[in-house]
Amino acid sequence: MARVDVEDVVKSYDTADAVTITGRPLRPPALNHVTLSIEDGETVCVVGPSGCGKSTLLKVVAGLETPDSGRVLYDGEDVTGVRPQERGVGMVFQDYALYPSMRGKSNLAYYFQVHRRSDEEAKRRTREVAEIMGVGFDSLLGRIPTSLSGGEQQRVAIGRCIVRDPSLFLMDEPISNLDAKLRESTRVEIKKLLRRFGITTLYVTHDQQEAVFMGDRIAVMRDGRIVQVGTFDELYYDPANLYVARFIGSPPMTILPARVEARRVTVEGQGWDLPDDVADMLPSGEVRVGVRPEGWALDSADGVRIPLRHVERIPTERASFLYGELAGASVAIAAPLDYPETESVQATPDWGRACYFSAEGEDTLRAPGALELF
Amino acid sequence: MLFPRVGRQQWRVRAAWWGVVAILCIGILLHLFPFYFMIISSLKSSFEVLAFPPTWWPEHPTLAAWRLVYSLVRGNNAAAAALLDGPLGLYFKNSLFIAGFTLFLGVPITSFAAYANSKLQRGAIARWSFIFFIGTMMMPDALTLIPNFLLTRNWPFPLPTPPMIPGTSTPFPTVRIWDTAWAVILPGVFSGFNFLLFKGFFDTIPDSVIQAARVDGGSEFNIFRRIVLPMSVPVYAVAVWGMFSSAWDQFLWPLIVLQTPSKVPMSVEIYTLIQKFEQVGTTNAQQAFAQSQQMQQLMEAGLSWNGLMVLGLLQSLPVFVAFLVCREYLLRGIRIRGLK
Repeated sequence: MARVDVEDVVKSYDTADAVTITGRPLRPPALNHVTLSIEDGETVCVVGPSGCGKSTLLKVVAGLETPDSGRVLYDGEDVTGVRPQERGVGMVFQDYALYPSMRGKSNLAYYFQVHRRSDEEAKRRTREVAEIMGVGFDSLLGRIPTSLSGGEQQRVAIGRCIVRDPSLFLMDEPISNLDAKLRESTRVEIKKLLRRFGITTLYVTHDQQEAVFMGDRIAVMRDGRIVQVGTFDELYYDPANLYVARFIGSPPMTILPARVEARRVTVEGQGWDLPDDVADMLPSGEVRVGVRPEGWALDSADGVRIPLRHVERIPTERASFLYGELAGASVAIAAPLDYPETESVQATPDWGRACYFSAEGEDTLRAPGALELF
Repeated sequence: MLFPRVGRQQWRVRAAWWGVVAILCIGILLHLFPFYFMIISSLKSSFEVLAFPPTWWPEHPTLAAWRLVYSLVRGNNAAAAALLDGPLGLYFKNSLFIAGFTLFLGVPITSFAAYANSKLQRGAIARWSFIFFIGTMMMPDALTLIPNFLLTRNWPFPLPTPPMIPGTSTPFPTVRIWDTAWAVILPGVFSGFNFLLFKGFFDTIPDSVIQAARVDGGSEFNIFRRIVLPMSVPVYAVAVWGMFSSAWDQFLWPLIVLQTPSKVPMSVEIYTLIQKFEQVGTTNAQQAFAQSQQMQQLMEAGLSWNGLMVLGLLQSLPVFVAFLVCREYLLRGIRIRGLK
């Protein structure tokens, strides 16, 4: 069990494609003063678009990359200079990274061989892992990785990761190479494993839904910086800036250009009175208003008319999404499943539950905060 | 498949396909013709082999040349042995020694260098060391001949005489490997071409596999031995074979640095034999008579071009055997080289 702290880490890449021939870096640092702490037994998901440095963060925590500055601590102990071989972490890679010339069994046994443990221990642990991993895992162990499908390879890779009882799990987009159906079931399986072991986990993904499903907390990264860390509710209802607000939530938040004047808000010539608590916090002038799909009141008397592009019905959620356009912005509105097909819809944003951002820049002016459901 | 099967419906594509086949056939024939001529020459009699125009098929096939070489190897032909500086087996052993040690040292050194450059070095250092190693390939052999020669005399100085230690009259201590097999072995240990071959292959191994092994706790050497090496057998086969055939067939360099007749490899000995054969001569009439009689005997026994062709075939045999042994891996390796 371990608590992990990443303190003010800066990392620039010096690989062949990232430097000029004289060694001058071509890109901004992959990690730019990143600070993150993972509590003992907690799962933190790092999420962000590709190239934002999330895999680099994972490699720095694993010790595969050495930070240019800053520290990495395990249980308060500085391990920045410790080689990955001595850190005792378990890592799962996006491309599974099984040893191609070894059978599944030897893939699992490699750890015990290099640590000069007995064959019996390796066998016993492999059996235990096979029990944990469930049906069919045994049959994978006798085959060489190239003869396994993506999902099977991933199961072996996860098995290889847990066979050593790691104190820290690091997962680098472990399921993003699987097809949609398999992704779903593997996601559940990994979640079960994490629950069962209660091991500190850093989980990197580009898929925010996966992050929501896996993580106790989510860290949103962008251009080598962590923008916001928090639970899903915090990110969803209290985004630190426009970027997080846009990134979290599916379908995404609708961002409307609006004008605030004299405690009234105007969108495309139509005006509404703002609730008092909102009006108090907003300066007059141009703003951007973020409205979640569920933040619209449909068929309201004072609503604005929104022409619809199409309607997506999702029976499992007993809802449909209406997609349209308003003031040049894409709009997604949650509606009941049996909402009739129409050309346009009259809807009013719930101004009290909307997010307000400055027109220039991305600062949050006001966010609604988490719902108090209970 | 050079052209897709469906495309061959078109007569132009079909014609082009046959054109390519024809060119490849010409290429094969051009490569096989010297072998063919070597084999039939070895079966000709000494007089037929000198006939002009040459015959394309031995008119009186004879094994005289093979028998002569056999007796040479056994060491029971005094006349022919007089032309040689030692038993033929000795030169074969010399060749084996040189080729063997070139492989023994060269394959690990070249592949380790390539692996380090591909997977361990990063950034500008990796770039520059790569350019340096590849740069050794750009140097024409003729350019390095004389410096290399001087280096074997006074290592590490490429000078005819070692320089004096400043302020004294004693020269710097030097190592002289000239006229030993090591003078042939050491310059052949690093091969820029094989470095490129290895590096090209190691670059295709995903970093994540090596990183996974690091997380598993494997030391860098253990990772190389347990994970990288088993994946790289084909590329090793290509490199071993290439290195062996070039070490076995090299001629100019051993001719220059090996002066003691008993130290030269097979390739050089065959050449000296040709030389002696052509330049037999003497200033004394009696000697000349004895010698011409000896030559007459040898000619009849088969020591003419036909005998040399036998030696040449024996000389190229190990390379051929080496090819057969690792043919499967070589083909796979060439595919790797061609596609990646």
